[in-house]
Amino acid sequence: MKLRPIEKDAFGRMGPGTITAQGFLGNDSRAPEEIIAEDEMEFARLGLDFEAVADELENLKIEGEKGLGEPLTVGKLLIQTGDARGMLPCPYGDGLHHKNAVSVRLADQPAESCVEGEDMLVFSDLSIHLLRVHHFCQGRGSPFRLEPALMARLVKER
Amino acid sequence: MSPILVGPLAVAGLSTVLAFLIAILDKFLNNYGQLKISINGGKKELVVKGGSPLLGTLAAEGIFVPSACGGRGTCGACKCKVLTDVGPHLPTEMPYMSPKDIEGNVRLACQVKVRKDLEIELPEELFSIKKLKTRVERIKDLTYDIKEVLLSLEGQTIEFEAGQYVQLVVPPYGDIPESAQRAYSMSSRPSDSAHVELLVRLVPGGIATTWVHKFLKEGDSVEIVGPFGEFRIHDTTASMICVAGGSGMAPFKSILNHMKETGAFPEKEIWYFFGARTTKDMFYLDELSALAKAWPRFHFVAALSEPKPEENWKGDVGLITDVLDRYLQGKIDKKKGLEGYLCGSPGMINACINVMKKNGMTEDKIYFDKFA
Repeated sequence: MKLRPIEKDAFGRMGPGTITAQGFLGNDSRAPEEIIAEDEMEFARLGLDFEAVADELENLKIEGEKGLGEPLTVGKLLIQTGDARGMLPCPYGDGLHHKNAVSVRLADQPAESCVEGEDMLVFSDLSIHLLRVHHFCQGRGSPFRLEPALMARLVKER
Repeated sequence: MSPILVGPLAVAGLSTVLAFLIAILDKFLNNYGQLKISINGGKKELVVKGGSPLLGTLAAEGIFVPSACGGRGTCGACKCKVLTDVGPHLPTEMPYMSPKDIEGNVRLACQVKVRKDLEIELPEELFSIKKLKTRVERIKDLTYDIKEVLLSLEGQTIEFEAGQYVQLVVPPYGDIPESAQRAYSMSSRPSDSAHVELLVRLVPGGIATTWVHKFLKEGDSVEIVGPFGEFRIHDTTASMICVAGGSGMAPFKSILNHMKETGAFPEKEIWYFFGARTTKDMFYLDELSALAKAWPRFHFVAALSEPKPEENWKGDVGLITDVLDRYLQGKIDKKKGLEGYLCGSPGMINACINVMKKNGMTEDKIYFDKFA
């Protein structure tokens, strides 16, 4: 696949230590363009739409913010929003996003037994933007990986 | 030699020569030598090696400008005034600069490189900030996601005011290739200058909190930098309305223990509102209830937003802002005036400020330590 210069630059900024210490690719051995292509196929298979899922995540964040930093039950989900100092630029260079972390899991599942990425979705304003605009769910092993199947499962439980 | 190999070999050879030339030129052209940094009109003069970002250059000289991102330009915390012309603000600085900052030559110390003699201005209190090597004396689980970490300063001491914070230096670990720094309020008493206690809540995906919760062990060495911060008790007779949730407890634990121990600000009544979701998220309940019994001017209000019937919760119920509103409307004496003290997420702080203003408190008397 031939990459456009903007993609080449963005993918170059996705490793650890450039924008965030951990980077966006986790321990995924696939190239970013492969991650995007495979997640697009998975979205299609699950009948999901990037724009609609990004809207859902935004809504979950807004609902969770009503807990004022403490966990809050929303339907069958437990949402907690947290903030950190500063902003993060999008690796594609099209915006700055407040540094935050929203975690979403089933309310009846004890936190101690939750595995990030498997039972608990963790995302930020930047994750929502990457999903909506660039169809980038991040690499496997990234703490902010938006696993399509997990998103489909949790969004349905709302 | 095969003619097919001539082209690639020539390109490889040329690249090697060019790389070598660039390395030589870089060594000579970017060698800025010894440069002077004059701080606060010459009150402090440093002779430093040029070429590195101002933030790291100052840190190497023992002057620690606060930074939450370790110099990556993503937190905007390391602002300082650079009076020497070092060129226009960089795109990486602009998101953190107000028009007043730009006009006042405020820069991010992590983005400005020391390439010539510089004149800068820094708050005087930064000169007393130290980097301290500590050892983890105890780690205690307060809830399933909040740990109390007690650090021993091993012969060194720290002087601070109750309410201030330190930066925890997180070394590279696991998949994290670089060191990072994060700010945590101290929950220990200023009178115990041999220890620093921190309360750390696990944030999913958080670099420092994951390290503390999953990697840090008792006996480990840890570096801290501090003290920093302006969050402190104001010397008036007004009653204090303190509000926190989760690890926002930390500065208030320090403030309350300090006031009880020293009898400081004897005119002040203290109301402390602490919110959590269920009893599983609540901690220090017994200690704070006992403190309230033993100290007549201290009133502790613990509230759960989602108590379960089986928890048999007898305290207040509701989001902490709703509980605060109820108390401000009918239970708190406003005769001596009120001051707000807040520590928590920006969402919680903004919501509390709205409730306080609605109940007649003025914004200039509301002090806060925002996590963000």
